Formats: sequence, structure tokens, C-alpha cells
Amino acid sequence: MNRPKSACAAVKRARPLLRRSAGAVVLPVLVLLLAAFGVLMVYSASCYVAKTQYGDAFFFMKKQLAGFFLGAAAMAVFSFVPYRKLLRFKWAVLAASLVLLALVFVPGLGVENYGATRWIGLGPVTVQPSEFAKYGFALFAAAYAAEDPARMQRFSGMLPVLGAGTAICVLILLEPNMSVTMCVGLLMLSMLFLSGVKVRHFLIILVPVVLAVPVLIALEPYRLQRLYAFLDPWQSPQGEGYQLIQSLYALGNGGWFGVGLFRSVQKYRYLPFAESDFILAVIGEEFGFVGVVSLFFVFGLVIWFGVRTAARCKDLFGFLLAAGITAVYAIQVILNALVVSGCVPPTGLPLPLISAGNTSLVVTMASMGVLCNISRGGVGFRAEKKRT
Amino acid sequence: MLAAAFLFLLIFARFFYLQVIGGDRLRRLALDQWTREVPVVAARGLITDRNGAVLAENRTAYSVFVRPNAVKEKQRTAAVLSQLLGEDRAALYERISSSRVSELTVARHVGRELVLALEEQDLPGVYYAEDGVRVYPRGEMLSRVIGFTSVDNVGLTGLEKYYDGYLAGTDGEIAYFTDLVGAEVGGGATYVPAEDGLTLELTIDGEIQAVAEAAMQALYLEYSPVTAQVIVLDPQTFEVLAMAEAPSYDLNDVPRDDSALLNALSRNNLVSDIYEPGSTFKIVTAAANIEEYFRGNPAAFSPQHVFDGSRTRTVDGTTIRCWSDHKNGKHAGQTLAEALNNSCNPCFTDIALALGTETFYEYLSAFGFGKGTGIDFSGEAQGMLLPEGAVRLCDLARIGFGQTVAVTAVQLACAAASAVNGGSYMRPRLVRRLLSSDGRIEEEFPSVLVGRTVSERTSRLLAQLLEGVVANGSGSRAYIEGYKVAGKTGTAQKFENGALAQGKYVSSFLGFFPSDDPRYLALVIVDEPVGAYYGSVVAAPGARGSFEGIIKVKGIGPVE
Repeated sequence: MNRPKSACAAVKRARPLLRRSAGAVVLPVLVLLLAAFGVLMVYSASCYVAKTQYGDAFFFMKKQLAGFFLGAAAMAVFSFVPYRKLLRFKWAVLAASLVLLALVFVPGLGVENYGATRWIGLGPVTVQPSEFAKYGFALFAAAYAAEDPARMQRFSGMLPVLGAGTAICVLILLEPNMSVTMCVGLLMLSMLFLSGVKVRHFLIILVPVVLAVPVLIALEPYRLQRLYAFLDPWQSPQGEGYQLIQSLYALGNGGWFGVGLFRSVQKYRYLPFAESDFILAVIGEEFGFVGVVSLFFVFGLVIWFGVRTAARCKDLFGFLLAAGITAVYAIQVILNALVVSGCVPPTGLPLPLISAGNTSLVVTMASMGVLCNISRGGVGFRAEKKRT
Repeated sequence: MLAAAFLFLLIFARFFYLQVIGGDRLRRLALDQWTREVPVVAARGLITDRNGAVLAENRTAYSVFVRPNAVKEKQRTAAVLSQLLGEDRAALYERISSSRVSELTVARHVGRELVLALEEQDLPGVYYAEDGVRVYPRGEMLSRVIGFTSVDNVGLTGLEKYYDGYLAGTDGEIAYFTDLVGAEVGGGATYVPAEDGLTLELTIDGEIQAVAEAAMQALYLEYSPVTAQVIVLDPQTFEVLAMAEAPSYDLNDVPRDDSALLNALSRNNLVSDIYEPGSTFKIVTAAANIEEYFRGNPAAFSPQHVFDGSRTRTVDGTTIRCWSDHKNGKHAGQTLAEALNNSCNPCFTDIALALGTETFYEYLSAFGFGKGTGIDFSGEAQGMLLPEGAVRLCDLARIGFGQTVAVTAVQLACAAASAVNGGSYMRPRLVRRLLSSDGRIEEEFPSVLVGRTVSERTSRLLAQLLEGVVANGSGSRAYIEGYKVAGKTGTAQKFENGALAQGKYVSSFLGFFPSDDPRYLALVIVDEPVGAYYGSVVAAPGARGSFEGIIKVKGIGPVE
């Protein structure tokens, strides 16, 4: 990542209109394409299970489609909200994130699934607060650092960011959800680093975090088992290793070009969470190595646009916010791919914009709207109108 | 940005490794879990006689089974199955809906109509597979030799068991793609064809078997023995032409519920049982003496030698008696020929003692006593022969006329065959060759020479003497005008629990014809006949009956 000052200097150069429009047009188009592809793949991966369990092959697909439209609307709205207006919501967003995360533990509201309480149930709708909190933290950290960049140089000055990140991490960890905790943790480190925190201070937090990982693993026995399963899944093919083995089977079956759309075999209940956390395995099975590389090329473009947007941004808040949003996205994409291919222990993390799960989809698309707005220089709807 | 690019490359490398390099290996591993197999049962090989007449074949039938996880409408499935199979609907529903096994067999050996009716209903999760039912067109023929199979068509006894590996074939399968719990998901099926079992072509001649069985049945009716048995051997090749035993049983209606009866009826006594042969064993003693005489052994008796006419011999302080009282000139002034005609025990005691343990045991070993013949049948008994080192002279004296020794019928028949065929002792066989289902010869079992016993010259003289037994001596009831039948009778008291069983005899007759070029050799054994018990009276007519039948079915003309 570039240093913020040189980045801001770079954006001062004049930009041709055409290149400017890349962020304004190409990014939303890419996001819509990815999300639409996600809806298709959610259908492909879930149709059999949906048919046998709910009697409706389109059960998950319909939900995802609703998320798609909701997300598209959110993206449109946020791309026309001048991002600087978000600055003043920093405390509100942080508070909302923490409250939502805490609500998970309120009996009657929290929804438990697979031994973890990660959702809030509001009638038929379930919301995953941790998905919201990731971006909430990015916004807070960016706004807090941008208000007074000098204070980030002081240890006491950066404490609120550290405190907020830690609080969110602890709440997510209590659900428990190790992977999202790691995701927020990595995001926190990125944000602190980008806000110009001194290396000395940086190390003070980095070292305990690194030390905490083995402790956290030891606290929950299932994490240790997952770690073993990751090291050698064939040790317990019907137990802890099952999920990973099924994912590898799907990828192996895909080969170079895949077995073709809708023709995954592993989705016939062999691969658990085929439509959510492990949808990449189904994509790899149906479209092969070539399909996976193509998909990651698109992911790469999105991330590249995000980085470029951050680099060209005129002000520190926009830079940090764009970098934060991009970081959240990139961290999730990379972690998910590593999980699905068995490079890191299996954890529950969605492939953003693709995996089934509306909270993630809507919030991610909204964040992409924000990114879009930053790339357009933070102009609102009226300003845009005036210009044309 | 650099870190992200690096991680992307790492991810690409990992996916390349998994999908492109490891793809085939992972797919092979996964294939196992993706499919459920329906067996394609290999057709069991036929069993035919040496002329191709079918003795065992298969009727096409079907097994019906259910994979509960793949059943979509459990109530309807149970209803249809209960109606077609005539089973209780509630019980069937219970089995389908509560079973924890992945596969239930609901019917076996059902007909084609039922399967067609089932197919019309198109019930998912209900499968059927061909599974042949073994049928035996001749019913009782050769029942103790052929044996039978389990309901799963696994050979349990007889040739069905011994040759099960060849008869069974290799099952194929149809593999259907299913989901995790076994519900079919379409996407086609792969078919691996079954490899059918091989046809066993027996050495048995169905026509000879039929006449032999008729002769044994006649003996069985007349003397009510435990069993009446005969083995007919080709003495030139040691191919078993017939193995008949009364009573027999219907292979299509095996008394599976009565295990004692089943054990008795399914036992091939000719191979698996031993008995004290008595006088038929004198053929072996005579052969040894003649061969030793021709070789110039001075201890052997010449054919002109006249044996001591006394009724008794005293050996090691024990007295050995002839079965005859030797009064009024009976058994007086006998040569070897007359000793055989009269079946005079003391003469054969003299021979055994004269040759001595070492020489006599050489012959017993060459003639295959005390060891199995190697016939292709399970459960062959080895007989009982005192070890050479443990034989006392009084034992040797008795072995000379067939006591203190126990043999199987197949053992004695083979010994006699080699004694009269020029001295070739071969391995007896029940199966000539194995054919594929389209008639190609897959394997042939040729004659295997095990060893030599006597010379051609000895064989001819012995056969001549034995022809005299039938023409002029105790075997006269086996005489057939113009056919040079030769043979020797035998009557032995049975031992039970180590003691002689009063009134229980084994009557036997070992005969062959024509004596100068033996083609058919038969050993008839009647176990515990009621009424008469001498071999000459009870068993010899059985041999004649068999031989007359052979002459008739084979159209053999008399010699002048």
C-alpha cells in the first residue's frame, strides 16, 4: 500500500473524464455482474437441497435475488450520497455495530445455527450483525483518523480505534465466529497502519494479537479439531475432515474447464454449505480451474479499482474509507479461497457478493456504492446533475 | 496491493494443483461416494454330463430390494409392494420407513411378471436385479455328487461346492449416481457386465449313471440296506462314468429344514466314507504276488502252487480262520485261481506273510492305500492303513484278505483299475473340462499318471483269474454270457465303536469287463443288507445289472 501523503499528491494531477468514469461506471457494473453471477450459482449449488428440504428448488435463489435488488438499491443510494457526509455518523455507526452485535446474545432475538449464535431474527428475516460491523468499524476508524491525523501518532490517540476494534472482535468471538474475528482483526491492523500509526505502537498491538491466536484456538476445542482436520483431512473423513474433503472433491472434479453449469455432483448434499461458505468449491467444480481464475480476475479488478480509488482520493477520510472497504472485500475473498482450497483451517466466511446470505450481500453492495462515490470525488446526486 | 497480488498467485497455484494436477486422483476418490450399485448377477455355470446333457441349470428370477433413502412416497411404495408380493402392508411400511440400513431385500426369486408389474408402477428407490434359481432337470440324478447351492447360489456341497469358483462367475454392476443419502439424482448409470460362470462338463455318462441308479434302486428295494452304492470307472482313463447311490434325493427339493436327513442324503459315501473291504481286497494281494513272481521273487507263489488246505493259520499266537469250514473237500488243493474263486482267506494270509511287510507295503502304497486319490471332490477320506512300522505279523496276515484295513470305494476301484489296466494308476476325475457359456473350451483336465503298480503281464493274468471267479466261482451271479465279465466278491462284518457289530455286513462286488481289455469297472457296495449278506448274493447281481444296462445303452455286442 502506498503512503497516504504521496497518494494524495498523486490524485492532484488532472484526470481525463474517461478514466474518471471507470470508477463511476465500471465498478458498479462489475459488482452487479458478480452479484448476478452469485444469484445464479446460489441457485445451482442449492437447488437440489432446496427441493428436497423446502420443496422449492428456488428457495435460496429467491432469497438471494431479493438481496440482489436490495443491494443494488443500496449501492445506488450510497453512490449518490457524498461520502463526506458519512463522517458525522462515525459514533452512531460504531454504536449501532456494537449494539447489534450485543443483541445477538439477547434470548429470543439471537438465532443459533450450527452451534454458534451469529444472527438476529426479526420474524422471517435474519440479519448477521458481524457483516455490518466490519464496515461500521472501517467507517469509524477512517473518520476518527481523518478528523485529526496527528493524534494517530500518539499511543493514547489511537486507543479509541484500537478499543473499538477490540470490542467488535471480542463480541464476534463470543458468538463464536473465529473467521470474522480474524477478518476484523486484519482490517483493524490495516486501518491503523494506513492512518500512520508509529511502528513502535503498531508492534505493541501486533505482538499480543499474534500471541492471542494460539490461546483462542486452545479455548474452543472444536478449533483445535478443525486445525487437525486441516492438517490431514483424511484422518477423519467422516468427522472433522469431511467438509474439507468434500470441498477438495468438488474442485478436483472440476479439472481444467469444469463439468458445466448446474452439473456439480458435490451439491447433492455431499458438500455442506455449498451455497454459502463453500460456493467457490461448486464454482470450481462447474467451471474448472479456468472458471476460478476468471472469477478471481474480476475480483482482482474490483480490488484494483478500490485501491486506485483510495490512491487518487483528495482527502484522508476518503482515502482511509476506500482503503478500508477494499481491505474488507479483499480479506474476505482471499480468506475464503484459502479455506475452500484447504490452505487454512475451515471457517465460516462468505465469498463476498457471491455466497448466499443477504446481510453480507446488501452491506457489501452498499459499501461498493460508497467506494463508487469516493471515486467520483464525493459528489452527491444534485452535484452530478448540475455537471451534466 | 503487493500482498494481495502475492496471495492471488498463491491461490491460483493451489487451485491449479488441486484441479488440474490432482483432479483425476480426487475424482477417483469421490466416485466411490457418488454412486450406489445394483448388482448384475453372473449366471452360474451349467453342469452337464460328458455328452452335454444338462444336469444343472438356472431359471431366470429376480430379487427385489428397496433403498429407503431413495423412496419418495413411502406409503404408496409399501402399498404396491405388499399387493404384488402378498406381504403385510403395515409391516412393509414399517421396514421401509424406520430402517437404518441403506438397502433392504424385500423379495427373492420372483418371476418376470412381477418385475414387469413393478416396473409399470415406476417406484423410485425400488430396484430389482436378476438372480438365477438353480434347477436340476434330472432331479434326483447324481444328486450326492452334484450337490446343491444356498439361496444366494453359493455352492454348499458336492461339485457345486468344489467347483464353485468356476461356476460362480463374476458379478457385474449398474452404478447409479445418488445424493449423500442414496436418493437417485439422474445423470445416467454405468454398466459393468457380469462374467458368467463356466460350464462343468463331467466325466459322468448320463446314460450309464441312469442304469447304475436303477440297479442300486433295485438293490435298495430288495435288501433295505442303509445305502446301495456303485462307482463306475473307465479303468483306462480313471474317468468316473457313474456314481450312484440309493437312496437319493431331489436336488430341486432339498430338505433344508431337516439337517440330519440332509447330511445323510447329501453325503457322497463313495468318496467320503471308509469301510473294511474284505475279500475284494484280495485282488490287490493277488496282483502283488503275481507281479513279484514274474519279477523272480522266490518268496512269491507261482500260479501253479497248491496252497495248504488247512482252514486255519496261527500267526503271532492268534488263529486266523477261513470263512468256510473246509469240510467235505471244500477249499482243498487250491491254486491261486481256485483260492480267488473260493475267496479262501488262509491262502491270502500265506501270500502276505510270504512277501513280508516291506514288499507288501510297497504295493499297498503304489496302489494308493492310506492316502487320498486326489479326486476332484470335497471331503475325500484317506482310508486307514496301519503305519508300516506298527504292523505286526498278525495284522499283515489279515490285511492280505482285506481286514484290519479300511478304504474308500473310490480308492479300491482305482487300485483294482490299475491292477487290471496294465499297471497305470491315474488320478480319478469327475470333471473333464470347463466350457465358457458360448461353448469355448476354457480348461481341460487331462489324465494324470500318478504311478505304476504292476506290469501288463500281471494285469492280463490277474484279469484272467478274476474272469474265472465270475465264470466258475463266487462271482457267478455277475456272469453275462459273451461279455468276459471278471470280478471279486467281498463280505465284511462292520465295526461299530471298535467292536464287530453282530449281523451288520458290508456286501460288495468289484467287477469289470471285458476282462482282456477292461472298459468298465464297477464297485458295488451294499451297506447293511437285510436278509442275505454275502457279496456274491447281494452285490454281484447289482454289478451285473449295471453292466447289462451299460451293454444295452452303449450297444456293445458280445464276443465269441
